[in-house]
Amino acid sequence: MPAEQPDPARPEQIFMDDPAVDRVLGVVMALATEVYVLRDRLRTVERQLEAGGSLDRAALDREPTLEELAVDGDDREAFVAGLMQNLQGLQVSKGAAQGRERNG
Amino acid sequence: MDDRSFVVAQSLVLETKKYWTTKLYPALKADYQRRAALQEDAPQTVQEVRDMIGGTLDYQIYAWLERHLQRFKYSGRYGLAPYHRERREELLAPLSDMADNPLLEVDPDFEQPKYYRAVDIHQHPGGVWSEDTAGFEYERGARSTTPMMGGKHRDLHQRFTDLVAEGGAPARILDMGCGFGKSTQPFYETFGEATIEAIDLSAPCVTYGAWAAGKAQVGNTRFRQMSAYETDYGNEEFDLVTSTMLIHELPPPQIHQMFDEAKRVLQPGGRMVHLDFHSLPDVFSRFIHYGHGRRNNEPFMEPWAEMDVVSVLQEKGFEDVTVQSFAEAEGVDAANSPVWRFPWTVVSAVKP
Repeated sequence: MPAEQPDPARPEQIFMDDPAVDRVLGVVMALATEVYVLRDRLRTVERQLEAGGSLDRAALDREPTLEELAVDGDDREAFVAGLMQNLQGLQVSKGAAQGRERNG
Repeated sequence: MDDRSFVVAQSLVLETKKYWTTKLYPALKADYQRRAALQEDAPQTVQEVRDMIGGTLDYQIYAWLERHLQRFKYSGRYGLAPYHRERREELLAPLSDMADNPLLEVDPDFEQPKYYRAVDIHQHPGGVWSEDTAGFEYERGARSTTPMMGGKHRDLHQRFTDLVAEGGAPARILDMGCGFGKSTQPFYETFGEATIEAIDLSAPCVTYGAWAAGKAQVGNTRFRQMSAYETDYGNEEFDLVTSTMLIHELPPPQIHQMFDEAKRVLQPGGRMVHLDFHSLPDVFSRFIHYGHGRRNNEPFMEPWAEMDVVSVLQEKGFEDVTVQSFAEAEGVDAANSPVWRFPWTVVSAVKP
């Protein structure tokens, strides 16, 4: 049976005390693979551009100036906020006062 | 998916498996040894090892990775299965005239045994037989079966063939469960004068094997779709019956049948030499190996490892029965490997 059509009668093996962790680890591994594939692609593009004379390797790798850091400041702030607000456990739209979803 | 992304993602899976092999396994073993040393009586059974470390977080992570790195290798976005199935037409085009190839015999009415259809071994979606690209998928996957061997994986098969050659050059060889021909290749290269029959249940695998042998201009080897425990060969046709990584895929009744069949087709004085996983020096190794069997979808790994194969073969009338650990590469410590490894074992016997 192809991976795209898993058989619901055969659930995946569980190893962790909380099966949610098994599934989350799968997502982490899948994301890590995507990051590595992207890293490889970026590195390859850089090498090709450098070989063609379109990229200055030394300029790319040197420490950014304060001005450059400042230009990207808003983007960095938004990135961090998008990541970290998940840790605060706050509802961003008004809903029930009790946040925990109850079974049934 | 593009070729580069596939290869890079696979290399990441393999690199992670190497970390698992060389860092996580030794840490798990050290933890077990530490815990065992603190007890008055060290564990004597697999169940006692399981009771001691089966619930630890380190073991859970170890087991999760063993299961899921293999899943990522075969399935998912960059898996062997989708990669090859996307390229089906391109891959199969060179095999279009294999039906007329004298090196190949495939039975279109062949009925696969129930045990073989029930589980996708190695977590290979559809098993190693149901997709016509399965031979290509298995061949690519087998390049990294043993993470520490990397590109030297072929050495394992050559070393085994060299060991067989120490007993003399056979004239008629039967290679049972030959898969896509990886085990057969060093035999046809080493014993150029011999006639070799290579058999396997999987049509895509024997087709791949015959195609690869044809490309190498091999003329002494025939690949046939056939069960190892139920062949159509006559009595005493071979002086060597061999297999590599076949036995642990068979249920115990079929293992018995396969040994009986090997004895039937061997000439008096003929040898049977199998390379498989069997010699496990302690209960920790057994616990690890049986877990590997479950996680890799190989349900017969454990009953085969528990089988008293010396007694079984002696009762069947074989002589000179030996079961010996096999070092798959130079410098391997088969009895106490510091890193994870398969328990490679050579089972050998002679028909009187």
